[in-house]
Amino acid sequence: MVENYKPKITLFHCINTFGDADEVFLTGKDTCEIQTVKMPCSSMVKDVFLLRAFEAGADGVIVLVCPEGQCRFLEGNIRAKKRVAWVRNLLDEIGLNGQRLSLSNISSGDKITASQIIDDVLKNLAELGPNPAV
Amino acid sequence: MIVGEQKSISEIKTIIAPFKKILILGCGTCVKTCFAGGEDEVAVLASALRLACKKDGKEIEIEEFTVERQCEDEFIQEGAPAISRNEGVLSLACGAGVQALARRFVKTPVLPGVNTTFIGVLEKQGVFTEECAGCGDCKLAIFGGICPVTRCAKKLLNGPCGGSQNGKCEVNPETDCAWQLIIERLKVLGQMNNLRIYVPPKNWQTSLSGGPRKLVREDHMI
Repeated sequence: MVENYKPKITLFHCINTFGDADEVFLTGKDTCEIQTVKMPCSSMVKDVFLLRAFEAGADGVIVLVCPEGQCRFLEGNIRAKKRVAWVRNLLDEIGLNGQRLSLSNISSGDKITASQIIDDVLKNLAELGPNPAV
Repeated sequence: MIVGEQKSISEIKTIIAPFKKILILGCGTCVKTCFAGGEDEVAVLASALRLACKKDGKEIEIEEFTVERQCEDEFIQEGAPAISRNEGVLSLACGAGVQALARRFVKTPVLPGVNTTFIGVLEKQGVFTEECAGCGDCKLAIFGGICPVTRCAKKLLNGPCGGSQNGKCEVNPETDCAWQLIIERLKVLGQMNNLRIYVPPKNWQTSLSGGPRKLVREDHMI
């Protein structure tokens, strides 16, 4: 475990699952730096955006999508899930560890689950340490 | 279209190891359609390689560019300024594109980033299947538009082998029996009499025997 390590997290989220008002509680997290990227639908999270988040210095990347079967655009969250799985394999191949990237389904405005997801990611990042490509 | 598959990151890392400035050059035609070498794939590969090299402590500058078609000189030309700025080019085109680049830029190392696999079609979103072997002597008119040379594991030209089960090939049960497809299609077309046509042993001279093939169109030459 690295001492004085304050992980940087980039959080991509669909605006239907996590609105502007919900982002406010993230500022209360003082154990990490969180940068949010909101999208009209999680299907817009392209492979290269996820990789570029790591290039920009993120230690971990979270993608929050609507629960399966509840995407306003029918299958956006399924597409996001497949892309995240693809990029996780790519990260493993690079040697960055695919576990740095995670996707979670979350209902609109469910701050308790969102907070739990971030805590789990922080616990994971404490084990993985800083992004080795920074 | 030509279908290809991007090489693994580890193989590409080995290929580009001697270079400090490299251009990843995409091709916006066939390999874009099969998600191997279009603009998006160039961006993803460039990002992945930057991360991989940084992690390994290797300094490398990677530039990205995509031309409409790498197998034609007039499109390749658009990439000339970017090519001249770099020590080498990692081409995400098919083998023809890589060689066209190498021919055009004699002093620049041109490296393949894609394994060219076959001539095929988009069967459904995300699935590409081989449909043409480029044998140079097309008999699709007899076979109802379904090629046994490519799609029959035994390349049989005069009827099924008898080994298929439930319409699937005995060599690979995941593959449709080409002859089952041919017969079904000929029934629909009312051309079952085509099955009575004897197809002589295939003349492979028009295929890959005797080195690279060449097509000359005098009427288009200047």
